[in-house]
Amino acid sequence: MQRGYWIRSKPLYDSLVWQTPAVAHLVIAGGEGGIAVLKLFQQMYPKDPIQVLYTDLATANKNYSDILQQIVPEELELCDSEESLLNNLEQRLKDCTMGTHFYVAGSEAFMWHVLQKTRAAGVQDVDVQKELCGTLARPVYCVHCKTITRDVHHNVFPCSNCGRHLFVRDHFSRRLGAYMGVMVDAEEPGNIPQIEEVYP
Amino acid sequence: MSILNVRVAEIEQVTDVVKHFTLVEENGRPLPRFSGGSHVVVSMNINGRIHRNPYSLMGSPENTDSYHISVRRQEKSRGGSVFMHDGVKVGSELQITYPVNLFSLSKLGKKHILVAGGIGITPFMSQIADLNRLGDDYEMHYAFRSAEHGAFVEQLKQMCGDRLHLHIESEGQRINFQNLLSNQPLGTHIYVCGPEPMVNALLLTAKDLGWPKTHVHSEQFLAPPIGESFMVQLAKSNMEIEVPGDMSMLEAMEEAGLEPDFLCRGGACGRCEVEVLECDGALMHNDHYLSDAEKASGNKIMPCVSRARCQKLLLNI
Ligand code: FES
Repeated sequence: MQRGYWIRSKPLYDSLVWQTPAVAHLVIAGGEGGIAVLKLFQQMYPKDPIQVLYTDLATANKNYSDILQQIVPEELELCDSEESLLNNLEQRLKDCTMGTHFYVAGSEAFMWHVLQKTRAAGVQDVDVQKELCGTLARPVYCVHCKTITRDVHHNVFPCSNCGRHLFVRDHFSRRLGAYMGVMVDAEEPGNIPQIEEVYP
Repeated sequence: MSILNVRVAEIEQVTDVVKHFTLVEENGRPLPRFSGGSHVVVSMNINGRIHRNPYSLMGSPENTDSYHISVRRQEKSRGGSVFMHDGVKVGSELQITYPVNLFSLSKLGKKHILVAGGIGITPFMSQIADLNRLGDDYEMHYAFRSAEHGAFVEQLKQMCGDRLHLHIESEGQRINFQNLLSNQPLGTHIYVCGPEPMVNALLLTAKDLGWPKTHVHSEQFLAPPIGESFMVQLAKSNMEIEVPGDMSMLEAMEEAGLEPDFLCRGGACGRCEVEVLECDGALMHNDHYLSDAEKASGNKIMPCVSRARCQKLLLNI
């Protein structure tokens, strides 16, 4: 990012804080997002019903299922994959009513998958608390072959589907839940800038 | 601001205090399309002075042959509604602004709850037409004082069927906001238009039940309150003008030949905001737009409804 320059589509993330008043709370986290859940439960927590959905992720450096099981006093459901967590979430959303607050933590790719589900249930992205945890790795959408590559750490990378070398932009699509990736050597094939790890 | 010249084609006395006006373009041309919840600002020349009042468009947005507005006679106000009732006849010509929508339905909504008090029913008439066309889920709650005051009830019954819920105060029926706002499915949006205590009560209940602000919509156009006269200096146009007690600052500026920006003229939209450069007394903020902190800081004012009590007021306009 350049100083004094900001792309409006680049999402901002915060630290999870209980939102009150509310009728219920639903916390959804994956992989390193577990730390944000632990931090939430170190705050004074509200007396409304709380549900926590969590899954360990193979891509995470640290997972939290074991600790959460000991710490989370309320209804905790541990799922065995992101997919099963998303299915479980979809079911629970059907029973949620207005006044339920939503909290999500994990990598950017994980959070935006969750947000696709909450949005489909009529919850606006701005009304979901989001905390980015663990990695800055970006989900990147190849504007040429329309494939999303997850967990991109470098400024330039080969698309997982078409192999084009893509430059990762800051332009973020909320609908796709991914940053735009644009072919870097379209003008001059083979002229690829130095590849650096910028999203550790 | 673009102006439409219209002619009054029909006037209907709806209740003893509400009249419904049908407006057509002066040369019979189609009027601009609008979306449900839009309003127009009607200019009235009352004894040489221009009054401008916002009124919601009630007809179906599909219909561009005519616009429909309804006016409740407000005896204790500055005369705009009384003029519409007594001075405007079939055939009268009026000037109106293009429609503006400050109260639109959320496109993301899964369900819409519409709540009207009294004449606050008007913006919903065009919204219901939109909802029916889209086939969206909704409930219309309409509260009024007594059976005679229930304007448009028959029309609403036809439009809404069993989605219409009437709450007639004289029969002891009041809307219980706590019940109304509890157990609504995710993705529900609520819209309220009516007297201030009703709107405020609903907003408070929604907040207490954890509804996010993005799902709660209200429209409250305030009539500019009457006050004491005061002087205001306009830095950019290099003028000093008097704001009489029965005129708003916005009207006084217009009277002086300026064309300040506005959309709602009711302290709701923020369009008329001006920077206060100097004030040696108190600003009297009457709008719903500025936050409490902004009001307290005294750097901004909404001239469509707010006033001042001071010797010197300098605005950056
Ligand atoms: S014109 Fe809308 S707030 Fe003044």
